[in-house]
Amino acid sequence: MGIIKTQEVVFEYIRRDEEGNVEGITTAVDHVNLDIKQGQFIAILGHNGSGKSTLAKHINAILTPTEGTVWVGGMDTSKEEKVWDIRQTAGMVFQNPDNQIIGQVVEEDVGFGPENIGIPTKEIWERVEESLKAVGMYAFRKYSPNKLSGGQKQRVSIAGVFAMHPKCIVLDEPTAMLDPNGRREVIRAVRGLNQVEGVTVILITHYMEEIIHADRAFVMDKGRIAMEGTPREIFSQVEKLQELRLDVPQVTLLAHELQKRGIALPNGILTTQELADQLVPLGKRGN
Amino acid sequence: MLRDITLGQYYQTDSVLHRLDPRVKLAGTLLYIISLFFFRNFIGYLIAAAFLAVVIKLSRVPFKFMVKGMKAILFLLLITVVFNLFLTPGEPLLSVWKLTVTKEGLGTAVTMAVRLVMLVIGSSVMTLTTTPNNLTDGMEKGMRPLKVFKVPVHEVAMMMSIALRFIPILLEETDKIMKAQIARGADFESGNLIRRAKALVPLLVPLFISAFRRANDLAMAMEARCYRGGEGRTKMKPLIYQKRDRVAYLCILFYLVGSICVGRLLL
Amino acid sequence: MSLILDHVNYIYGEDTPLAVKALDDICLTIPDGQFVGVIGHTGSGKSTLMQHLNGLVKASSGHIYFNGEDIYDRDFDMKKLRSRVGLVFQYPEHQLFEIDVFSDVCFGPKNLGLSKREAELRAYDALRKVGLPDELFYQSPFELSGGQKRRVAIAGVLAMKPDVLILDEPTAGLDPKGRDEILHQIKNLQAETGMTILLVSHSMEDVAEYVERIIVMNKGSVMYDDIPKQVFSHYKELEEVGLAAPQVTYILHELKKRGLDVDINATTIEEAADTVEKALKVSC
Repeated sequence: MGIIKTQEVVFEYIRRDEEGNVEGITTAVDHVNLDIKQGQFIAILGHNGSGKSTLAKHINAILTPTEGTVWVGGMDTSKEEKVWDIRQTAGMVFQNPDNQIIGQVVEEDVGFGPENIGIPTKEIWERVEESLKAVGMYAFRKYSPNKLSGGQKQRVSIAGVFAMHPKCIVLDEPTAMLDPNGRREVIRAVRGLNQVEGVTVILITHYMEEIIHADRAFVMDKGRIAMEGTPREIFSQVEKLQELRLDVPQVTLLAHELQKRGIALPNGILTTQELADQLVPLGKRGN
Repeated sequence: MLRDITLGQYYQTDSVLHRLDPRVKLAGTLLYIISLFFFRNFIGYLIAAAFLAVVIKLSRVPFKFMVKGMKAILFLLLITVVFNLFLTPGEPLLSVWKLTVTKEGLGTAVTMAVRLVMLVIGSSVMTLTTTPNNLTDGMEKGMRPLKVFKVPVHEVAMMMSIALRFIPILLEETDKIMKAQIARGADFESGNLIRRAKALVPLLVPLFISAFRRANDLAMAMEARCYRGGEGRTKMKPLIYQKRDRVAYLCILFYLVGSICVGRLLL
Repeated sequence: MSLILDHVNYIYGEDTPLAVKALDDICLTIPDGQFVGVIGHTGSGKSTLMQHLNGLVKASSGHIYFNGEDIYDRDFDMKKLRSRVGLVFQYPEHQLFEIDVFSDVCFGPKNLGLSKREAELRAYDALRKVGLPDELFYQSPFELSGGQKRRVAIAGVLAMKPDVLILDEPTAGLDPKGRDEILHQIKNLQAETGMTILLVSHSMEDVAEYVERIIVMNKGSVMYDDIPKQVFSHYKELEEVGLAAPQVTYILHELKKRGLDVDINATTIEEAADTVEKALKVSC
């Protein structure tokens, strides 16, 4: 079993009108099966309302499934006595950078998690230093969070989770409220944790360019897994992605458009370099 | 603008007072205020003023910052003086129109004014030399004995520290919503009281919704980071008394005993 | 209905030790009916600049003219300016407060002192223009989806019938589909009404397809002000200040560098595909 495993997970919630009468039942997650190995970088894509955030909250035991089972590090999330162990194994970073920072000074915020799980004072300081260095925010340790940019705040939040030494970090649209600079900073920090520290990463996003480096990607739609594969496999299905209301990087779109016009290109081109490597020889052949 | 308001008014510098344990400063301020109400004569206040002067000197905070704090209570000060001056019965000193100033009134007015000024300056020395965070930490630890009476000391301290973190964020948000509504033609400035109160609805409704959303998000984020109340928590920055704190306690004790003896018993 | 900015400066926190120059000598002319993109990263001064245009923030020095009138003149009617220059803030759904969508959109026109009937007509018209389905008009705005809420908020400003509409990052936080829908709607609105639109964004790719002019802001001053193709030709300089040209620009420059004779000025996928196809055919 991998670090995270879900089996036939279903999550339903009941919609009520103003008087509290049941209006209907919405199935937010519909029979999802995942098996994620330690150290992997996983991306979960989907438009707003596709169920991806609801699924993410299951991994941290914020929600428990209506049907099916979620195991985190072998622990069943529906077992209430395990909830704190589960949250320590799988940390979570949320979308809004302002609403998840508790401390009034960066270093105190990063220390908040370790304080909660009873780490001795001396070790808290070591963990805070190590975590802030891992996300490149050590120079800001004495700052007030209010003085930081969105990207910097998110990196502090990531450090705060990393300081609890989780095996896995789930990031629920960490870049949705950031500008392109901030987005880049955050993704770089996340990749660093994955590659250098070996933390399993589950990145939930709707920005396709952020998943290029993922080991595996899942696309969700209407609570189900609609597509699954390596980023290259996913990107090679341009029409299907557009149907699922997702963005495709311009380079992939251009390659797709050229294919349609009869130019021989392989599927799933992801970078400018790859496209140029393919096109330049085609142009030179005639000379 | 709104965000220029600074709460807690911490003055960043390095002094003995800044480095003191917040519990010492809290206790010291409390005892100092109590001492002010014990004096029966002029000399007591003189000793209190001298003590305050030394403390201010030690804090390295410019005196004008202390005076700034006085502006806020100027009105209160004026009312106290006026009421005591004219409304205390006793031996008349002079009469203007229907109002009479009595000898007792003059005495009480001066005493009250002096007490009030020293009380405010004394407490502002504490807030100017202690970060809000440190202050909540000090209160949490200092009030721990109250736990016996089921006072949720940790929870209160946590709430205060969260409030301090979100005040600037919500002030900024207020500013933004206000601007957005002004852009839609809202008028927050003219009209009578009822009209103005009504005009606040488009500001307050979105502000409350936002505050609730943030509270909800924050609660979830705290739980995700294994927060489950004060039990079993360790501290990143635990409060431990140093030698200077013990010395400070002795100084306060010495002042307290000395000033009360002189101010109450002599003469 | 032109807007002219003449040497506008804005110093944030003037007379304090923390004074920061937020806008530095801005001179711009925005003629009637233009569709302009304003690009810059967070802190470039673009939002501050936009708040000057309807008088929410007053310049430290310089003048702003609306239809030839100086908006800082003592007898200039600021309230009227705010109805003529509509400003939609970032995350505008955070300003909704009424019990139903329709009443919320009526808030602006009512503040203008219009009759109930006239205000309702305008609200209806505005909601149609942003493409909100009729059946949602009497729902609570808080029950709508993110994209729908945003449309309601935009309608709230549109209902004031402004001549100039400024949208500050209208697509922030939306998913790709929601983003495309809003941008299309804005484009249609512009085509239909001919109003002047300023679209503030940090993404070149978002605005490249739609606008006829791009103003790039950096550190409080105007860095570039030109048609999109010209602005994107400075892609290297843009990158240095933390902005990026559309990816297409990079692809075409790379191809050109490696000997393929493509037109580097193409900005959309269609145009790029055309020029690549042509270049390949010529060399074959």
